Amino acid sequence: MASRDIVTYRTPASVLAGIASAVFVVLFLIWTVLPIFIMFVSSIKDLLEAFKLPAVGDWSGIGVFFDFTPTFKHYVDLFTQENFGTYFFNSVASALGSAAISVVLGSMAAYALSRAEFRGKKDLFFWIISTRMAPVVAVMVPLFAIFRYGGLVGTTPGLIIAYTTFNLPFAIWILKGFFDNVPYEIEEASMVDGSTRLQAFKAIIPLVSPGIGAFLVLCVLFAWNDFLFASIIGSGGAKTLPVATSGLVQPQNIQWGKIMAAGVVTTLPMMLLGLVIRRYLVTGLTMGAVRG
Amino acid sequence: MLQTLTTDFRTPRAAPSALNTAPSQRYYVYLLAPAILLLAAISLYPFFWLIYMSLHQVSMSPNQPDVWVGLANYAKLLSDKRYLEGWRLLVVYSVSCMILQVGLGLLLALVLNNSRWEKPLVTVFLMPMMMAPVIAGLVWFYLYNGTFGWYNWVLQSLGILSGTSILGSTSTAMIGIVVVDTWQWTPLITLIVLAGLKRVPQDQLEAHMVDGAGAVRNFFAIVLPNLYPFLLIAVLLRFMDNFRFIDAILRLTGGGPANSTKVLPVYLFEVSFTNFNLGYGAAIAFTLLVVTIVIGMVLVSAFTQPSLQQKH
Repeated sequence: MASRDIVTYRTPASVLAGIASAVFVVLFLIWTVLPIFIMFVSSIKDLLEAFKLPAVGDWSGIGVFFDFTPTFKHYVDLFTQENFGTYFFNSVASALGSAAISVVLGSMAAYALSRAEFRGKKDLFFWIISTRMAPVVAVMVPLFAIFRYGGLVGTTPGLIIAYTTFNLPFAIWILKGFFDNVPYEIEEASMVDGSTRLQAFKAIIPLVSPGIGAFLVLCVLFAWNDFLFASIIGSGGAKTLPVATSGLVQPQNIQWGKIMAAGVVTTLPMMLLGLVIRRYLVTGLTMGAVRG
Repeated sequence: MLQTLTTDFRTPRAAPSALNTAPSQRYYVYLLAPAILLLAAISLYPFFWLIYMSLHQVSMSPNQPDVWVGLANYAKLLSDKRYLEGWRLLVVYSVSCMILQVGLGLLLALVLNNSRWEKPLVTVFLMPMMMAPVIAGLVWFYLYNGTFGWYNWVLQSLGILSGTSILGSTSTAMIGIVVVDTWQWTPLITLIVLAGLKRVPQDQLEAHMVDGAGAVRNFFAIVLPNLYPFLLIAVLLRFMDNFRFIDAILRLTGGGPANSTKVLPVYLFEVSFTNFNLGYGAAIAFTLLVVTIVIGMVLVSAFTQPSLQQKH
């Protein structure tokens, strides 16, 4: 690259800017990581240890944060006393159920939208994406009324439908952009060779399956992290992890160790999945507007 | 290179006719139908139901019929102080989040860009975004706590806060919830800006530098204009999400103290699912939906700008 040819001199100003940048990054790193770190550490603290704090202004007393004997009893308690095994299963079932429906139907529709030419395609597309942008509470008002008649409140199928209201439009929208990048020539060539339309579609599946897998994971992530739908539509029979965790907060005798452990149980699987699909995250989180 | 926004959505060119013969067309209909029908059933049908509800006093017992009230629910909105205050607070909340996040996110991206540490650090910065917003709310609720919260202790030790915790006072609770949103979502802005910085035309930068421009002038003359579409996307996405999600706010303050953080969706949640006044809730939801869809239209036209996709 030609830019290497331009010589930049180290001036006092540039050195100062370098130091300032480093300080800023380090501060930002601490700011980002600290709450998560405190969550992890507090989850292995005993009840009283979680409340320990130095006197106001006593900076040297900051060490009491690390003054504890690690215990995993909160994690054990969650699964033996608080029924978190069931909530974990509810979370997995509703998230995976809605993600699977959304990605299967979404990829079919996205492929058709990518290849077909018809009038009103733009309007159809806008309608699809606008359903994804609707505020969750606003969507929930009529959905709750309908589900009450249909007996779907407090059931996993009810939650799966609720999550599909935002996951299906997301899947269609993002997968269309994905199919648009697959050259038509592959299908054309295979059709010239005498294959049917369906066989031609199958020819490009190996090309798109990594992306489809990544967006399936993103749909799981969106559903898993939902609180509003789960707290109303899932209340009762289909409690998920975020709702169960939030429910541990009582007015009296708050068990912070246990709550933080529940937070870790809810968060850790998604952080790991996030790492797995790292390459597709920017595209997914910006609804396909930006490619990383 | 300029393409108008009215061209087809990111389709690089029209699909060849071999893929649009009559048998193919029928095939596309079969592929599209299940998704469209399902989406109509779970979003279009509820939307009409929402309009119906907003025109009725919705009864909570199955034996009592809903009572037609015409536009009474909408008329009530205009005199409902909570409702109007909810809009004001929603704008205050969204705008404060946006300014903080775009400022910090842009700065972080500029510092990180092309540095040795970019890749590993960005991976670390992704962590808060993977967290359920309600869990983020819970963790910060703990950190902010007036008797045993570490962040509260730090703020008190620095003399920034006195007796009450940040969420306990009407004058600071809004700051408290803005900080949590900023903690969780600033990295998204950084990611978007970093993607944008990779697309700043290097030849322009070099030409400008040869002309003797320094880093600062370079930034304002070339980098920033190239980043505008990315910043626009970032701003709109965050705006939409602040309208969509209230999970963290519900956990942190529940709209209090004294309604000082009762942004409109929180008020809507209270009307609909605490007081179960579903008819009035539907009227609030309808107005919120209309405004969101308008913002959505702007977002979609911003999405289709060709400059977002090109790599230099």
